Amino acid sequence: MPHQCTGCGEVFEDGSKEMLSGCPECGGNKFQFRPKGADIPDDPTPPDAGVDEPVPDSDDPDPPDPGGDDPVPDRDDGAVAGTVGRATTRVRDAADPATDDGEIIDADARRDNGSVDEDDAQASARTGLASREDVRDVGEPRTGPAGSDPDESGPGDSEPAGSGTAGSGSAGHTGAGPDGAADGRSDRPPAGEGDRVESEPDDEDPDLTELREQLNDQFESIKIVEPGEYELNLMELYDREEYIIALQENGRYVIQVPDQWIGSDLDDR
Amino acid sequence: MFMGILTDLRSSISRATSSLFTGGEPKRIGIYGPPNAGKTTLANRIARDWTGDAVGPESHVPHETRRARRKENVEIKRNGKSVTIDVVDTPGVTTKVDYKQFLEHDIEKEDAVRRSREATEGVAEAMHWLREDVDGVIYVLDATEDPFTQVNTMLVGIIESQDLPVLIFANKIDLDEASVQRVSNAFPQHETVPLSALEGDNMDEVYDKIAEYFG
Repeated sequence: MPHQCTGCGEVFEDGSKEMLSGCPECGGNKFQFRPKGADIPDDPTPPDAGVDEPVPDSDDPDPPDPGGDDPVPDRDDGAVAGTVGRATTRVRDAADPATDDGEIIDADARRDNGSVDEDDAQASARTGLASREDVRDVGEPRTGPAGSDPDESGPGDSEPAGSGTAGSGSAGHTGAGPDGAADGRSDRPPAGEGDRVESEPDDEDPDLTELREQLNDQFESIKIVEPGEYELNLMELYDREEYIIALQENGRYVIQVPDQWIGSDLDDR
Repeated sequence: MFMGILTDLRSSISRATSSLFTGGEPKRIGIYGPPNAGKTTLANRIARDWTGDAVGPESHVPHETRRARRKENVEIKRNGKSVTIDVVDTPGVTTKVDYKQFLEHDIEKEDAVRRSREATEGVAEAMHWLREDVDGVIYVLDATEDPFTQVNTMLVGIIESQDLPVLIFANKIDLDEASVQRVSNAFPQHETVPLSALEGDNMDEVYDKIAEYFG
């Protein structure tokens, strides 16, 4: 029973068309997804379903093993190649509630593991230091990320170090819009994947481009649509070690960075 | 002999510090939820019931609370025991803030834009606190609204991943359209407590649960 109406409990088989125009019973338009293998820990579907946040979509494919410290590479490989279509749809739907519920229902424990891992990975990727190392290890393949990485870490690192408690803005985050977002993003999806997405699939699959744009938007922690209109990426805000203190009129924002960053950055350079 | 005194001294110090941290330290409880769920009304209700003070202004205008506010050392007495918590009222969490929503409430554009910016900062702050500074969460939902939202699932998921104790409060049960069942269906893995923070309905159970979960 893959889909269940959250209003009246009516159940629909996977792929049934009735639910496309709302529940025929009660008119409800929210359905929760119940993977068949709900009880099986290894089942790949749950991870996908579990992902509440947009970002996680990329997890779908591979994440079965929660153990991996560095989920990023795996994630990208599988996700981008295999599930673009589905992922796009899911992202578009935005109201992932259905899937989320499904996950909740099947296995809290598994979900927890997954999300924790993900957080770690994201956090480390975000810091810049980690991702840079990754890039080095991997080698040439990631031209894209290597380029973007410096940019991102540059502003963030150097500024804060200089200013002390509060660094101003930083190109990476501010990203007066899409451009900034893109940098931050490609960086984030941890190095490897980001590149791949950019170079290969873009040309071939329009869906992929769309997906990438959507994911990019979501990776930016605060997107300034116009003065007074903001879109927030909650996962990103939650994951950041630095703390956003104030948004500036010019589209930058002031952040407070953790003390340990200052020392490590200097060493790094 | 001298070493013996030192050892005694050390053990008594460690005993003192351990009792300090297990018993004395108040837990910091974050009140989270989407805008207009009644978080500040609840925080004020709790603070007034047990300390006599309020936490902050309540309003029908969303994002009235744009900075986290804390009320410390709220001592709640239940069944002969007392539980001391710090109540942190946080700005409503959302994925979009648009100044135009404030224009409907007779707020001038310039003011609305500023409000919008502050609300956005407030969400960032709330998310930061969730990561760094809370020991438990009261997740407040307006029971007249659909609980199946991206924000709710995401936040509850984050809270679960942190292993924080959490209570779901289905607020506004004084309104006819409220459905506590719908809220508990949305989060079956957590305890849902119905209440009206505005009217003070079911506050006894609210305090029982707070003492049970965060004591």
